[in-house]
Amino acid sequence: MKPTIRFRYRKFKSVLLYALCGLSALLAVVPLVLIFYHTLSLGLSAINLDFFIELPKPVGETGGGLANAIVGTLILVGLGSLVSLPVGLMAGMYLSEHGNNPFGATVRFLTDVLNGVPSIVTGVVAYTLVVIPMKHFSAYAGGVALGILMIPTITRTTEEMLRIVPQSLREAALALGIPRWKTTFRIVLTTASGGVITGILLAVARAAGETAPLLFTALNNRFWQTDLSQPMASLTVFIYNYGVSPFSDWIAQAWAGALVLMTMILVLSMAVRIATRSRFGRGT
Amino acid sequence: MKKLTMALAAMVLATLPAAAQMQLNGAGATFPYVIYSKWFDVYNKKTGVQFNYQSIGSGGGIKQVIEGTVDFGASDGPMTDAQMNEVKQKQGTEIMHIPTVMGGVVATYNLPEAGQHLKLDADALAGIYLGEITTWNDPRITNQNKDLSLPNKPIIAVHRSDGSGTSFIFTDYLSKVSKTWSGKVGKGTSVNWPLGLGGKGNEGVSGMVKQTEGAIGYVEQAYAVKNNLPYASLKNKAGFYVEPSLESVTEAAQSEARQMPADMRVSITNAAGKKAYPICGFTWLLIYKHPKDKVKGKAIQQFLHWAMKDGEAYAADLMYAPLPKEVVKLNEKLINSIAVK
Repeated sequence: MKPTIRFRYRKFKSVLLYALCGLSALLAVVPLVLIFYHTLSLGLSAINLDFFIELPKPVGETGGGLANAIVGTLILVGLGSLVSLPVGLMAGMYLSEHGNNPFGATVRFLTDVLNGVPSIVTGVVAYTLVVIPMKHFSAYAGGVALGILMIPTITRTTEEMLRIVPQSLREAALALGIPRWKTTFRIVLTTASGGVITGILLAVARAAGETAPLLFTALNNRFWQTDLSQPMASLTVFIYNYGVSPFSDWIAQAWAGALVLMTMILVLSMAVRIATRSRFGRGT
Repeated sequence: MKKLTMALAAMVLATLPAAAQMQLNGAGATFPYVIYSKWFDVYNKKTGVQFNYQSIGSGGGIKQVIEGTVDFGASDGPMTDAQMNEVKQKQGTEIMHIPTVMGGVVATYNLPEAGQHLKLDADALAGIYLGEITTWNDPRITNQNKDLSLPNKPIIAVHRSDGSGTSFIFTDYLSKVSKTWSGKVGKGTSVNWPLGLGGKGNEGVSGMVKQTEGAIGYVEQAYAVKNNLPYASLKNKAGFYVEPSLESVTEAAQSEARQMPADMRVSITNAAGKKAYPICGFTWLLIYKHPKDKVKGKAIQQFLHWAMKDGEAYAADLMYAPLPKEVVKLNEKLINSIAVK
């Protein structure tokens, strides 16, 4: 009898833990579903054509849109990528290919520290470094703040992804007489491109959703502005301002802004995934 | 002559797209955000000049003016002498305070027995926030509310936990009317409260008051009206109980207009007028007297003239108390003194 009982007990334990794991997985998804549902149900009503082509209206006038903020967010994230992509990618390549030394370890550690720095701090840093000397809130300052924020994510994911690439591949390339730098760029980086791009997307998505670094740098703008040395509107700051306002149409627009922002990130990541998948045969 | 004006007008119109590129950036107080956004929108439609105003808080507005990162600032509390000196050092120009509109601060409460009819004087209000008065049936409250039967319930005093112009006006008033308060606590955008609960923003304070029977708190008048909160009538300096209203707030400034200093950095709490509501204040635009960019300075000057002449009419609809004529006159003098040549 004994083994059967033991067997049943083990079976029970297994099923129990399996169920607990499944439940936890479900619980992890619940907030995401709730956020999606909530944003959709509250934001959809405020979305119309005007929302995408009109400028914000002052209090007491209904209608208007956040066209400048949508464009502004794209510009700011673009600037942030311009700052962070070269630095992050190169740093990641260095750490993976040449970083097995004390300097590499230090950089790795500092990158992790930078990753943990609250985003508002990068905003204050950009304020001190860019806004005060320029005597102007500007899109540049916002781009720098977002860039600082994106660097550690890009660096670390690039490094991790390049490390997965089998050593034999590098050796094969070198054996064929390909120089080291070409191996890194053309063989290793291309092989790991799916994962690297995922890392970049993570950084972009995080930057697009940040409010704190923009408050003191890009400020915000009620009007059209394409001059990068001027304050720039962004969806997140508008959501922040409108969300806490006492006016119902502004709150509705804040929800709509959140919905648009989420959709933008979703569309972007799907588009990039599809593009990279078809090119390299597989994604990560 | 007419032709010349026409030609000039045509030229102005022709350069409008270029003029529309002119954008002035300002930042500061949250309280006047609604009327400023209305003004700037109307003014933009009229003239094409874009004023981009961001409400980052009075403290933030003052800081940006000191650093010179904005073309103008805004604040609910006047700058201190030290701050004004800092501007002089860093930006090489004086800063001017131009009052734009006014707002009252009301005492809202949650006491079903009192309905909407609570009356308080300065002594009672200070006593409550000092912790000297702890129950609603304290004689210092009941002696002025003989028509109400107030219960033996504890009073819970609620204040703002964040730095705020509303707190400044409220504590400024208490400092004027109570020696104990000015000695023990003083005035400021955030002070060391002797007791009570803190709530963030108007919504935090009113939320706490709504949920707690026996609570009293202070919020912006416009916020209380929009959300149908009950508020107390307060006894003013002249000895009359006055309900907070746009008229009674404007009256407060009017009754003090004669004694106002030239730089308009003035508190109008505990005003002397018979119909004046005692807890209210100005909100100011902070303008550089010698703007570095004369074109922008001129644009600001023109806007301010417009705001004083036409802009004030929008105030009442948006629940701000407009400036009395006397103050507008004082303002015009200040606005004319902006060095734009």
